[in-house]
Amino acid sequence: MSDLLLLVPFVAVVLLYLLPKRARTAGLWIAFGILALETAAAFIDRFATIDFGLLAPLGKLLGFHLATDGLSELVILCTGLVGMAALLVARRTLEDENEKFLFANLVLVAVVGINGIAMVRDLFSLYVFVEVTAVATFILIAAGRGDHVFEGAWKYIFLSVVASVLMLTSLGFFLLSTGGITLDAARTGLAANAPLAWIAMALFLCGLFVKGAMVPFHGWLADAYTAAPAPVSVFMAGIVTKASGIFALMRIAQSTLGGATPGREILLVVGAVTIVVGAFLSLTQTNFKRMLAYSSISQMGYIVLALGGDLRLGILAAGLHFFNHAISKSQLFANAAAIEKQLGTLDMDEMGGLGARMPVTAGTSAVASLSIAGLPPLAGFWSKLLIVLALWNAKEYAFAAVAILASLVTLAYFLSLQRRVFFGKPLEKWAGAREASVGLLVPAVALALITIALGVGFPFALKILMGGGA
Amino acid sequence: MADRRAIATAARLYFVYATRIVDARAARSTGRGRELPFLRLRFPGDPAIIRRRAKGASLGRVGRRAVDGVWKEHERRNCASRGGVCPPGGGVPTGAVIILFSFDYIAHYENQNEYYTMAVVFLGAMMGLVFSSNLVYLYVFWEITGIASWRLIGFYRGKTDVLKADKAFLMTALGALVMLIGILAIHGLTGTFDLGAMKGTALPLGISALLLVGLLSKSATLPFQTWLPDAGVAPSPVTALLHAAVLVKIGVYVFARLFLSTFVFDEALRTIVASIAGASALVSAGAALVETDFKRIVAYSTVSQIGFIFLGLAMGNALGAAGALLYILMHGLAKAGLFLSAGIVEQNAGTKEITKLGGLMRSMPWTAVAFLLCAFSVMGIPPFGGFFSKYMVISAAVKADEMVFGAVFLAGALLTILYLFRLFTKVFLGEPHGVLAPEKSRLMVACVVLLAALSLVGGLAVGWPSELARVAISQMLGVAG
Repeated sequence: MSDLLLLVPFVAVVLLYLLPKRARTAGLWIAFGILALETAAAFIDRFATIDFGLLAPLGKLLGFHLATDGLSELVILCTGLVGMAALLVARRTLEDENEKFLFANLVLVAVVGINGIAMVRDLFSLYVFVEVTAVATFILIAAGRGDHVFEGAWKYIFLSVVASVLMLTSLGFFLLSTGGITLDAARTGLAANAPLAWIAMALFLCGLFVKGAMVPFHGWLADAYTAAPAPVSVFMAGIVTKASGIFALMRIAQSTLGGATPGREILLVVGAVTIVVGAFLSLTQTNFKRMLAYSSISQMGYIVLALGGDLRLGILAAGLHFFNHAISKSQLFANAAAIEKQLGTLDMDEMGGLGARMPVTAGTSAVASLSIAGLPPLAGFWSKLLIVLALWNAKEYAFAAVAILASLVTLAYFLSLQRRVFFGKPLEKWAGAREASVGLLVPAVALALITIALGVGFPFALKILMGGGA
Repeated sequence: MADRRAIATAARLYFVYATRIVDARAARSTGRGRELPFLRLRFPGDPAIIRRRAKGASLGRVGRRAVDGVWKEHERRNCASRGGVCPPGGGVPTGAVIILFSFDYIAHYENQNEYYTMAVVFLGAMMGLVFSSNLVYLYVFWEITGIASWRLIGFYRGKTDVLKADKAFLMTALGALVMLIGILAIHGLTGTFDLGAMKGTALPLGISALLLVGLLSKSATLPFQTWLPDAGVAPSPVTALLHAAVLVKIGVYVFARLFLSTFVFDEALRTIVASIAGASALVSAGAALVETDFKRIVAYSTVSQIGFIFLGLAMGNALGAAGALLYILMHGLAKAGLFLSAGIVEQNAGTKEITKLGGLMRSMPWTAVAFLLCAFSVMGIPPFGGFFSKYMVISAAVKADEMVFGAVFLAGALLTILYLFRLFTKVFLGEPHGVLAPEKSRLMVACVVLLAALSLVGGLAVGWPSELARVAISQMLGVAG
């Protein structure tokens, strides 16, 4: 099964190009179908153990093998859901048929990369799949039409190259110090406290911090998200950044660091700084998507912070927050797409009173905002509660307090967003604005319902999560 | 109109019921906390009721059973839920009157759906809070009331209205988050979130202080009181619901729940709380004396009266605690009446500025009389309900040998009389300014009159409510009652 997750999207990309030009409109729906299957795959019991061995020869040649666990299932589930939402948004916001076709293709390429990241067990393959994802994403951003597209894509490429260099160097050091680049070999090296292994790990972590936009390597993210076309920002914010940066960190924290102190401390400090800086930067933004972008930085800080807590609970909390944030943030970007389509601008100073004209968009965005701000009974509350609990159990009281109080800043900027965009008196200027079309509302409503359902029925979800074995 | 009321009631019951189902299921499915002990979310949930639900029952029957179940819990369960009788006992009937009032008050504004939804969510969350015996659930419902009041205060969509709503939300959320740190610390200390399991724990003062920040911010007590007068931008039924009847009482109620019936209530904390309450009562009474906005005066009066409730609880004897619970009930009724009268005056006269009002006695006789009766109850004039609660609270201070606090609160009571008479004189007596607006809606006036009558009856037949409070308190404090 795991090999199919790589092969199917890959083959689909090739086959899509064989379609006659007229049939290319089906591209979006084919990609949608593949992602729907991927979502379903995450729910198949013990799908990890089913392996058709299709990649075995290739694996033997390159020395990589795939293994899935609860964490992989989580990423695969998020990829499916977010990808479907992005495709639906693309259908309504991209105008040109060719653009839509290109989008579907590149999403599938990125999905190959993300699925790979979810399942590999060695650092080199991890690096390769991170790069596959990144390349697809560069093009996705650069394919936009705005003025800042070049700046956004360029910053992302430039910083990604730095990350690649850091990670490649790190791989060299790992080979020197431990003689292997599998996660287990790295773990052995770190456990023996080999200095070179720790240097290598620090370099690799730095590379992933760039990919995951941790402060102080966060410079690219806001520009990239803002410049990217609407569906691309849905996809990037929902899964790309999180899979290639944050998930890789989760994987390393889980199977390599194993709760060792130096690694934990790095994650704690970087996570806490990112949370606070991201939240305060978000507070000052006037562009809808830019505010969401800084909010993303801050929220990904929570995931990293959780990894520094009590290992078992920390991974669970990080995974849950990963899911919640993927769902809610891609939903908010879908809301942004709906607004941009109606108003033609994302400047929040020009908006006001849109709640009266776009009630569904307003309502769903309030759900996502409150969930990310960690308010019960929405899903975001539970993951944040688990995060602070993991920190408290690990006796990191100060970090737990920072995590809790930063929620107030999160709430503050989301309230300011809601106030400036949706509440207030309806402006004359936007008298012509209407609720977005059904095609754009479906992903927003579906994702908001997931947030509510997971929040209200959280104990059941937790049971499944724990049964799934994170 | 009638169906709206039915929906409101049914939804409220259903909300309570739904939370109970989730709870009971959670408790069973996680199997006594194999992995995460805090998920043993015990709530007064009766699995038998849920099994019957599975057979298929109409909403009405489900609601009735929920009520039955809740009531049975009271018969059977410990103190904590017993103590819960008082706030919902005061809050739910008052809430019903307020909702009735808003049928006419809200009728000509937009966003009515949001208003009724949030009012029902609010009352439902209040019920959930009262009946949860687990700190995590307490926090969940605590914040749901915050979300609902955010939308209720921001009902009008003017720029300042929306800003004030955000302010109220952020201030109470700050308190709640600090309290959450305290809750985590308690979990670290006791290894559980279950209130029953942590009974008798002695909390370090630091943790108590963290909890106190949350409680004081919700109850709008010094130094977190500023959001409450500002939230007066909301429609009057909302201010009545939030500031008089229910929201601000949550803080007091949870305080009683935590420090009277669960943790050891040590001397130092008692003095701190009583001092804060005293300062809060005097300062806000002073503010009420100089304000010129009808609703802000009543709001400051609420801040001041909450101080009395905290005083009663902080005295640590049964008399004070029973007085405080009685106070919650009586003050809720009377203060809702004051806010709703303010709503009638504001809507008909078009202003809340008391310098521009006067002589309204002539055109609004019913409102004026009802306002006066409610004001008597808040002042503590016998034989109104407010007298008994005020008397019990202050005599508890004397009984506990806290003469200073007793004197401070007597002064507070005096100030209450002053500012309420000032308000009444300025608005209803004297020379009329401008037009003498008539009382338009009979329903609205009837609601206010009803609340005034209840305040009076509550005093004349004080035996029944005080018996309720006495039983609740004797169980809360673990005294044989």
